[in-house]
Amino acid sequence: MVSQTPRLAVAGIEKGFPGIKALDGVSFDVRPGEVHGLLGENGAGKSTMLNVLSGVLKANAGEIRVDGQRLDLHRPGDARAAGIAMIHQELQHIPALTVAQNLYLGRPLKAAGGLLVARRAQEARAREILADLDPTIDPARPIHELKVAQQQIVEIARALLYEAKIIAMDEPTSSLTPSEFESLAALIERLRQEGVSIIYVSHKMDEVFRVCQRATILRDGRFIATVDLAETSEAEVVSRMVGRDIQHERHVSHATATPALRVESLGDGRMIRDASFTLHRGEVLGLAGLVGSGRTELLRLVAGIDRARSGRIQVNGQAHTFRSPREAIAAGIGLVPEERKKDGIVRDRSVASNIALPSMRRFSRMGLIRRRVLRQEATDLMQQMNLRPPNVDRAIGQFSGGNQQKAIIGRWLAADVDILLFDEPTRGIDIGAKSEIYDLIEKLAAQGKAILVVSSELPEILRLSDRVMVMREGQIAATLAGAEITEANIAAHAIPQSKRRGRSLAAEPA
Amino acid sequence: MSSKMTDTTDATTPARGLRSVLPASLSLRDAGTLLGLVLILIVFASLNPVFLTAPNLLNILQQSSINACIALGMTFVIISGGIDLSVGPTAALSAVAGAALMAAGVPVPLAILAALATGMACGLFNGTLIAFAGLQPFIVTLGGLSLYRALALIFTGGNPIFGIPQEFRAVINGDVLGVPVPVVIIGVIAALLWVVLNRSPFGEYILAVGGNQEAARIAGVPVARTKITVYVMSGGLASVAALILTGRLGAADPTMGNLWELDAIAAAAIGGASLMGGKGSVVGTLLGAVILGSLRNGLTLMNVQAFYQLLATGIIIILAMLIDRATRGRG
Repeated sequence: MVSQTPRLAVAGIEKGFPGIKALDGVSFDVRPGEVHGLLGENGAGKSTMLNVLSGVLKANAGEIRVDGQRLDLHRPGDARAAGIAMIHQELQHIPALTVAQNLYLGRPLKAAGGLLVARRAQEARAREILADLDPTIDPARPIHELKVAQQQIVEIARALLYEAKIIAMDEPTSSLTPSEFESLAALIERLRQEGVSIIYVSHKMDEVFRVCQRATILRDGRFIATVDLAETSEAEVVSRMVGRDIQHERHVSHATATPALRVESLGDGRMIRDASFTLHRGEVLGLAGLVGSGRTELLRLVAGIDRARSGRIQVNGQAHTFRSPREAIAAGIGLVPEERKKDGIVRDRSVASNIALPSMRRFSRMGLIRRRVLRQEATDLMQQMNLRPPNVDRAIGQFSGGNQQKAIIGRWLAADVDILLFDEPTRGIDIGAKSEIYDLIEKLAAQGKAILVVSSELPEILRLSDRVMVMREGQIAATLAGAEITEANIAAHAIPQSKRRGRSLAAEPA
Repeated sequence: MSSKMTDTTDATTPARGLRSVLPASLSLRDAGTLLGLVLILIVFASLNPVFLTAPNLLNILQQSSINACIALGMTFVIISGGIDLSVGPTAALSAVAGAALMAAGVPVPLAILAALATGMACGLFNGTLIAFAGLQPFIVTLGGLSLYRALALIFTGGNPIFGIPQEFRAVINGDVLGVPVPVVIIGVIAALLWVVLNRSPFGEYILAVGGNQEAARIAGVPVARTKITVYVMSGGLASVAALILTGRLGAADPTMGNLWELDAIAAAAIGGASLMGGKGSVVGTLLGAVILGSLRNGLTLMNVQAFYQLLATGIIIILAMLIDRATRGRG
């Protein structure tokens, strides 16, 4: 089965973004009929690698060969022409169009000399291809009526339609149930036997070990190793992904016994039900759970962004009903949102202005902003946090993600809130700034701030938290402390009862 | 995810070099608008000797003052991410309200206050629907455009109101040290608005709401209050323009202010306001209004037909936007 020429050979790929070296000399090869895992933490460079492979991003250096032929990728179309198909995590199709129309999107079968689309012929051909994959899918139905797993099969069908030799799947199981994963695994095995090569990106170890033969591990944009999965263990792979022993980085607890925030049976009437917990001064409380388990929604209720329908919130012993974030901020609660660009920054305004937004009253006198005072304080704050470049007059949109995050955190320090809610604090942040953010969170805890951290990255939760709450289907399923805080324990509580099947799936992908 | 990149585009270095020469209060974009105005002035001055005389320049400022007044309000609305199409009819409604009171013998200051209150009420109505009912600014103020015009027409039966007291007319048509009163009024208002936009918390709120409404809300900005206030300001400034015009004409016509909204948007846009929100400048808008005023004045002096004046206005607006796009990179 193993032939001399690899189906895909990637050599010395480099790709840099301003402030980040996303890929730094990555090389690996994929054999014909091989399922090859591409592994790494968030930010390791997996997605960038896929984007380079599919021609979305152009590499700064290195080469890609398919069956020994060197590729020159300029556009996404070039990769497809060379037989590389991409199945994105967010499936890319047009909901209102039929399955067949989506299959032929961009290059329809023509009739009447190219004036019309040969709809009937498209559907017939689509039916042929789908018969092999999932005969229950009707090509004439609008694609949005299908289940996500079926939509994914349509994507695979599209890859086959273009006679792809290499199919790259980015986190294909992020919205699949365990039984749907089983069908996908079976399908992948069949494609493999037919000689299709598959690149499987996931950070769920059990899946990778189940479907892949070999895997390439990336860390901080660098190639770490290509391993034969039959000859290694999950623990071995994880430690090479993370590059350190997680347990050794457990932080020192600064938790006190004084409650800062007490939430009692909070609910939003839709998703969040009966959420109760207490957050103490100096404590870092981790909030784990699958994507869609309600973690962000709970944070938004506590921060006053969405209105709670039931329950009580007490801050420093005082009861509150928040009708707006403004009221929550006045009570001493600040949120560092997950989607920085959408919910965090005002791009064209300076760092100083972004910092001052919640604290305008403090920074102004007689209706006018004291620019000099603001500038001085913002500069001092950002100096402590090592803002780069250290210029608070620059528009925040011109900074890297990590530096924007420092400004948003600085905003809440300037507002002197007691309680900080972090939603995925290191998403989209390069590895160097990441540890700065961790150190900062610990420093804030040491100063007596009460901190709640939502994260999909278990190492992050393990590194930061004194206690860990696990959410499942809108409810707090468990609160773990001390020795109970293990990856396995968190995973066990995170998986919905109905779907529980012993998969050690712990966190959802980025 | 590693592919989520952040743009760390450096501020271009030539801009920095130029930056150091300019006074701190004049942004690079405003300097560009000023340059455009100077070019237009040079062209007309070389074509017509009358153009660059003090009386004519004052005349241009006077002619631009009404549009400038409306455009300043429009600038605030546009920065907040909205648009106010109802300014013309708002002006008409407050003009007829004020004029009717004056004609009925109500003391002039009271009538002025009533006219201002009428305009601000129109703005409050717009703003409340936009901030609390979540309606689109374009549609709400389009409705307001018909609504306020209809109210003005119904109230007057379609006829102009005469009998504006001489004392009021004398003030509006007077001058301060040779500068026409309307120009002085707009100058004072513009100075106040500059301080509001650049030095007050409310100014930061407007820029934040227009730049990224959701982020502003999460950062504790009172979004609804900010939005309502800009529409009230726009309505109030429409009343000021209405009072100036009423004083100059000696009558309040319910059809006053037809298409004012378009001139105002043009002035704001030439001055650097982004219709996407989050950007705009008081100085720029003033310059934009004067550019449009100079253009009309210069072409009239040269006896160019009104049709061609319209053509020139259109070309200037589009040219300004193209230059804006090219120099700023993104709209």
